[in-house]
Amino acid sequence: MNIWKISIQNIKSKPLYTFLSIFVLTISIALLLGIKQLKNAFKNQIDHNLGKIDVVIGAKGSPLQLVLASVLHLDNPTGNISYSKAKKIAKNPMVKMAVPISYGDNYKGYRIVGTTHNFISLYKAELATGRYVKKSMEVVLGYTAAQQLQLYLGDTFLSTHGLVENSVEEHEDEFTVVGVLKPTQKVIDRLIITNLESIWDAHNGDEIHDEHEEHDHYNVHHDNEDKEITSLLINFKTPRALFTFPRRINKSTNMQAVLPKYQLEKLYEYTSIGFKTMSWIAYLILLMSCFIIFISLYKMVKERAFYLAILRTYGASNFQLIKMVMYETLSIAFSSFVLGLLLTKIGLPHMLYFMQPIYKQSLLIGLPVLEILQIALLIFATVILSVLLAIRPIITMNISTILSHEK
Amino acid sequence: MLQTENLTFQYKKNETIFSFPNITLEKQEDLLILGKSGIGKTTLLHLLAGILKPTSGKITINNVDINKLKDHALDAFRGKNIGLVFQKKHAIPSLNVFDNLQARLYFSKMSINNNKIDLLLQELGLSHVKNSKINSLSEGQLQRLNIALSVIHNPQIILADEPTSSLDDQNCKIVIALLKKQAQETQANLIVITHDHRVKSSFQNSITL
Repeated sequence: MNIWKISIQNIKSKPLYTFLSIFVLTISIALLLGIKQLKNAFKNQIDHNLGKIDVVIGAKGSPLQLVLASVLHLDNPTGNISYSKAKKIAKNPMVKMAVPISYGDNYKGYRIVGTTHNFISLYKAELATGRYVKKSMEVVLGYTAAQQLQLYLGDTFLSTHGLVENSVEEHEDEFTVVGVLKPTQKVIDRLIITNLESIWDAHNGDEIHDEHEEHDHYNVHHDNEDKEITSLLINFKTPRALFTFPRRINKSTNMQAVLPKYQLEKLYEYTSIGFKTMSWIAYLILLMSCFIIFISLYKMVKERAFYLAILRTYGASNFQLIKMVMYETLSIAFSSFVLGLLLTKIGLPHMLYFMQPIYKQSLLIGLPVLEILQIALLIFATVILSVLLAIRPIITMNISTILSHEK
Repeated sequence: MLQTENLTFQYKKNETIFSFPNITLEKQEDLLILGKSGIGKTTLLHLLAGILKPTSGKITINNVDINKLKDHALDAFRGKNIGLVFQKKHAIPSLNVFDNLQARLYFSKMSINNNKIDLLLQELGLSHVKNSKINSLSEGQLQRLNIALSVIHNPQIILADEPTSSLDDQNCKIVIALLKKQAQETQANLIVITHDHRVKSSFQNSITL
């Protein structure tokens, strides 16, 4: 026999109260953890997908659209730029690495990106199997793309025109899978990577085949001398270039140079308002749950006053009675926290599973242990505060009065 | 041994001051304290149990002046040396009969002897309900459990507050007999405070407040 055993028996003897307390607290904890995890995953996506890209150069238009299209591969590009002009920019002494990207086709909704080998190194991706692209119409698949499309080495497929899945505008030239990348949890996981020539060849073939057909794709080239690309991703040798280089491009060319970090930070700031609001709502629900626990505890302590007084006559100290109430509440809080954590771990991926067709990639990453501990600490601190407020009647208990009145 | 000297108590200033006669009880002596409602019977019992502190006077139990003990020490002293019987059930509702007796020993900081609990339950005719919850016990069983809870830790003094008020004549006799028997077995002083004159014949020593 010990105080733990009595506390556990007390919990068991009030199944409805226990169930409701655990239920309310679990929901609020799951909500708080879920929002934190989503916010974290979103921030992580933005931070990680930037890779080593300092500047994106593309056609004039919305800077955010250019970044979303060229870095996160979510939106439509602003237009095309001349490949020869892009190559001239790439030769600038401030440029450490320049990666041209060109796209306009997809396979079952997964974007096909024409680029150079440096694109893979931007994301520090490695081959899981096969080899890199050597010639036109060969592709290397990102991990998620390979998994979802069930494509393996040697498999072939026909791309379709545009960035959205459709079966109407299929190209005639087949792509062949020559490699699959290891997972990186970055945007490259959901891309199909080929060389620039493949994109040009695919569209060149179509143009020869049907010269008059009107296309709205983004990598149309007019002749072999002036090929076009969607954008140029640049990594500088020195951060100083960030101040002068984009300004010069924006001033002296018909292209725009955009700082993706700045644009994405801005995007994150906009979206974080929503996350902050949701977080505050979750904190409010948590506070209300603790308030409900406080009210229930206070009521319970009052109702149990006679038994608590009797325990004092048995020789129990005030501290032992407080421990008993504390153990009961902490057991409820601990169970709720574990359940809330499980609910987040199991429920959130299921919820996001239905969103995956939009993003073509699992967005979730686990919450850092430190953040989980912080939330746990906050919950336990709030619960302990509720207990301390609720046990006041125990501390100020007049045993004689209680025993006399309850006789 | 229990001794009180010039014991008085006042709940609040300007309220009635209760004055109590001196009591001296040698080992194993019984005492019946009779009195009408509102005369201070329960106040006296609470003073003897150390639940209330007297306004003046002295209470000595086995040569320990209990009013000089600090709160924590008084809790421990009460838990070890005093057994209280109330009219109302005073077991923990979430625990069964057996666990209640274990809890009583635990809070008295005494070693938990399951055989001793079994023997006592057998003696009080509660063996068959040892695993039952408190709410399922009859009035008579509850009163016997109250007695068990007051003697399981071998106290020096058993204080019973109106133990027979709600019982019929037959059960009244049984409860008093059980209390006396348990007090004898544990070599404790038994003090019964009541307004129930049916029990007068069972006690040699009695005072009326």
